[in-house]
Amino acid sequence: MKHLKPINDKARKLQQASSEDRIEEVLAMTSVAGCTATTDPGWEVDAFGGVTSLCQPMEADLYGCADPCWWPAQVPDLMSTYPDWNKDALSSAESWRNLNAVFPKDK
Amino acid sequence: MNNKNRFALVSTLALLAALQAHADTSGKALVKGHEYMAVTNTPNNLHLIDLKTESVYKTCEMPDRFGPGTLFISPDKTRAYVLNNNYRDIYGVELDTCKQVFHARLAQKAGEDARSMFSFTVSADGKELYAVANPMQRAIDHYVVGEPRMQVYSTDAGLDAKPLRSFPVPRQSYVMQAADDGSLYLAGPDIYKIDPKTGERTVALASRNWQRPGYSAPDVLYFWPHQQPNRDFTLLYTAARFADEKQDPETAEYLYGYMNINLKTGKTEVRDFAPLTELYFTGLRSPKDPNLMYGVLNRLTKYDIAKQQLIKAQELDHSYYCIAFNHAGDKVYLAGTFNDIGIHDAESLEKIGSIKLPGGDMAVSTTQVFIR
Repeated sequence: MKHLKPINDKARKLQQASSEDRIEEVLAMTSVAGCTATTDPGWEVDAFGGVTSLCQPMEADLYGCADPCWWPAQVPDLMSTYPDWNKDALSSAESWRNLNAVFPKDK
Repeated sequence: MNNKNRFALVSTLALLAALQAHADTSGKALVKGHEYMAVTNTPNNLHLIDLKTESVYKTCEMPDRFGPGTLFISPDKTRAYVLNNNYRDIYGVELDTCKQVFHARLAQKAGEDARSMFSFTVSADGKELYAVANPMQRAIDHYVVGEPRMQVYSTDAGLDAKPLRSFPVPRQSYVMQAADDGSLYLAGPDIYKIDPKTGERTVALASRNWQRPGYSAPDVLYFWPHQQPNRDFTLLYTAARFADEKQDPETAEYLYGYMNINLKTGKTEVRDFAPLTELYFTGLRSPKDPNLMYGVLNRLTKYDIAKQQLIKAQELDHSYYCIAFNHAGDKVYLAGTFNDIGIHDAESLEKIGSIKLPGGDMAVSTTQVFIR
């Protein structure tokens, strides 16, 4: 690491902060900028380690979770980045097939 | 009449019937003395359901984006206030006309994005609206998280409402309701009683910091601020009760309980009501019998609070998030998730009806039952 040199302001700030041993307070971000509002699981297994307390069917929980940005790793971020993701699947039980994966736009 | 004329007549009648079905109900006034349920869903509707006919009485199209659709009915029952636009804005709509009469964007300055996590309510006298804004300033290559603030609005502030005042509130604040004495109860790490004139707050009901010997801190997930006719503000919690001072989670009993604040009297209550065997997202006590607690997620259940025993459980077609009662307390309505509202008999818990909403999922919307 000693062979790496910062070449912009941000990198210099990072190096300075770590050398001064300054630890910024890490705040749980209750404002949802991109994601996420929370990090608790609930799709793969329920609180008991099983599946019976997961919402049934899975689609019943889909927008209730995507709307407040609950599990961004599993679904596109409806709250900020992909607000139109479900525009063709408003009734998830009937039209979930219209939900697609999202891909970053080429710049 | 010849065949050609008959065909034309039948076609016209069919067209008229179809038009009737999709008629614009926005101008339909509510009827005094009738019991209604208000609920929102995608794409961006506010529906008023007549609970006597168990059908959608009218639909208002809401502006901008849906989400979460959490709503409050004004104390005089003339307006609904809805948190929408992906948690960024609060809209006030006149129920009789569907006219937008209030709009507040929570962000207050350029480059700021502010969201309310289900955190808003209307005062008991209807004159003020309160919302917790969680602000975030977007800088050129990073975000700066701001301090959450309570923004106080006059409900007369119209379509470009700006706060009259604001004051800091704790992080992780969520549901709130306004009490008859003018104070606000805000759920966050604890449940606070706040003077909305000064921002001064005390802990009304400790949650994360509760002092219950032998208990873990409670786990609370509650996004549904039900306006109950008896003025109870209720949330559910789960907690572990340890076997001994070793506090070993392996030997603990896991329990469901409720936290309650009565908005009329200020009385608070924390009470266990059941062993934790399955999850409920919402729970309400029966308007007829405060010893009965009803909970719902994958099943609809009824508990005897004093005995901490399950009385009855009803299987459901799918999960529902949000429970509600009619004022008489003999019917239970299950809403949220998809776009159907299940109607169940409060005694037997059996399904006795269903209301299909125009549009898509209700997701995390809150239903409110009121009598005009």
